[in-house]
Amino acid sequence: MGSSGKSASKGSSKTASQVLILSLMQVWAWVFLACLVLIFIVAVPIISGSSVSFLSVRNSQNILVAITPVLLLGLGQTFVIISGGIDLSVGWVMSFASVISALALRAAYDSGLPLWIAVLAGLITAIIGCGAIGLFNGVIIAKLKVPPFIVTLGTSFIVRGMALLMSENTTVIGLPSGVRDYGNESLMYYIRGEGGGMYFFTKPEVTVDLLRKMDRIITYPVLMTALVVAIAIYVLRRTKFGRYTYAIGGNQVAATRAGVPVESHIIKLYVLASVTAGIAGFLSMLRFTAGSAVIGDPLLLSSIAAVIIGGVSLFGGSGSIVGTVIGALIIAVLTTGLVMLNVPSFWQFIVVGAVVILAVLIDQTRDIIKAKIGTG
Amino acid sequence: MGIAKKLGAIGVLSAMLMAGSAVAQEKITIGFLPGVVDPFYQVMEMGVMAAAKDLGITIVTQIPPTWGVQVQTPILDAMVARGDLDYIILAPTDKDQMVAPLLQANESGIKIITVDTFLGDGDYANGPVTFPISAIGSDNTEGGRISARGLAKAINGEGNVYINSTNPNVSSVEARAVGFTEVMDNEFPDINVIGLDFNLNDMNTAVQQTSATLERVPDLAGVFGTNVFSAQGAGTAVVNAGLGGVVQVVAYDATKFAIEQLREGVVSLVLAQKPYDMGYMAVQFAFADSAGVTSLPTKVETGFAIIDINNVDDPEIARFIYQVAE
Repeated sequence: MGSSGKSASKGSSKTASQVLILSLMQVWAWVFLACLVLIFIVAVPIISGSSVSFLSVRNSQNILVAITPVLLLGLGQTFVIISGGIDLSVGWVMSFASVISALALRAAYDSGLPLWIAVLAGLITAIIGCGAIGLFNGVIIAKLKVPPFIVTLGTSFIVRGMALLMSENTTVIGLPSGVRDYGNESLMYYIRGEGGGMYFFTKPEVTVDLLRKMDRIITYPVLMTALVVAIAIYVLRRTKFGRYTYAIGGNQVAATRAGVPVESHIIKLYVLASVTAGIAGFLSMLRFTAGSAVIGDPLLLSSIAAVIIGGVSLFGGSGSIVGTVIGALIIAVLTTGLVMLNVPSFWQFIVVGAVVILAVLIDQTRDIIKAKIGTG
Repeated sequence: MGIAKKLGAIGVLSAMLMAGSAVAQEKITIGFLPGVVDPFYQVMEMGVMAAAKDLGITIVTQIPPTWGVQVQTPILDAMVARGDLDYIILAPTDKDQMVAPLLQANESGIKIITVDTFLGDGDYANGPVTFPISAIGSDNTEGGRISARGLAKAINGEGNVYINSTNPNVSSVEARAVGFTEVMDNEFPDINVIGLDFNLNDMNTAVQQTSATLERVPDLAGVFGTNVFSAQGAGTAVVNAGLGGVVQVVAYDATKFAIEQLREGVVSLVLAQKPYDMGYMAVQFAFADSAGVTSLPTKVETGFAIIDINNVDDPEIARFIYQVAE
């Protein structure tokens, strides 16, 4: 938040306890996630019976599958919020991507192309189509200086309407059945118990009984999301693109003076946010084997919550991708854990809401303590 | 056809009872995952719980806060991950998109029974989707036809009518609109179906859409609301426009609100489905299947009760109003 600089001169009388508190606050989201997992590991067998375990291969994979859409929406959003903006259109951009990638995939396949090329065509269509929406957002925000909140709010309605219009009544069906494998099969298969074992790349042909004990490890959508996350971490930490993003969020005027191409960078950020949302839409199209014009509706607020829980300041200038991953994990672990405890999943909203507020409070308190003890 | 199905169901029930007494069964656990939190599914849950109590079965219930595959799927996955469920009774929120997630659940050994809505075309014997045991629900096309005839009678067989529905590609409401339109086209030449809007399961949107239609078509004679939210929204819009009793509304689903509007003359006909029976029967089917009954019908239609102002106080009919026990 840029407040540490002002107070750096105040002296450096850090006590050990202050340092401890400060470092705990730095990693509180990790600690919270760990506590949550521990609570579920202990409580689930006690409450739901000893045959139910939170700590299973299948459950871990479920959580990974569940976070992919929220995380992908959150990734681009992390960049945008670090730069001091916000993108309210990502949920609907995701729906739009789901629709156009399904249409493109179906058209390509129907024209006689092999399935993998059709799938690729779907991905490319999603990226280009959503990139164009991001470009639209970015140009209006950067060049015409309209606040991002307003622009992306407007875009979200436009995109929602386009998705519904193009989707042939909200759902694009008639995709080749092989699409289901792209969205649901995995790199590895683990079959529990006798006669089981690990299998790689292709789904093992086994008896029904063994099939029942089979867990999919790292489904293709999870793999692709992991790749995007890795790239995002690298870009934000190690490249000029990342440094520009922090610089603009920290102080836009200073960034301009320092020679950062602010306008073009802001445009790129909104393109990025739309493209990651587009990938989310493409992957959900694969997973559900259909394009859906309403698939992203419930996800916008979850993705912003994940970003905030992850410690990205809404005032810009600070935050990390890993934080957003933790934020998304906290939300997914809560949903899964509560269902396994047979607690109404509505509680998830209450806990997530409380954690969002807690995250901001901790963030602010940390800044105050930092200012007090001086971290210059 | 209806009678044959009923007889079939009775046969199944007796087979189940025999199976229940003959075989010492392992205790089964059933997951119940309706489409969204609303009075219809709440009544269904009562049926599920009642059957579970009668048969000594454990039920794990999760109710999605909003309608949609993106909300229902993670809950489904988590239920599967529990590892202790033998059956899942659910109302799929999309007949195509829920196939892949449920196929995975089924592959891991959980048997599926769909209630209210179904997968594919609902024909688990010969249709595109065959892995679920059974589809238990209303014959929604027939429900649409009954609604059409009721509305036609209320408007004396002439005028413009409008349909307000929830989401496309949801098996139940889609069939209602199809049945409704079919009857209007074939049996009532002087009635025009002038439009169909989707409110995406949002009552506020249903109100708006119906209000706008009332503006667009000033001589609108009747509205068909294809589910709880649609009918409540349509009824509200008609009252707001001061046209209560002038524009006839047929409400699919017998919520207390719909009944209130029936008493006020806003709604002329309420079509009650039998969610309690759906829930109860689905649990019985799971129980029968676990006892080794192999002849369960893949499709069961639970029928309707038609409620109008003349029979609304008849206890035989009033019991089908969706009331959740306190």
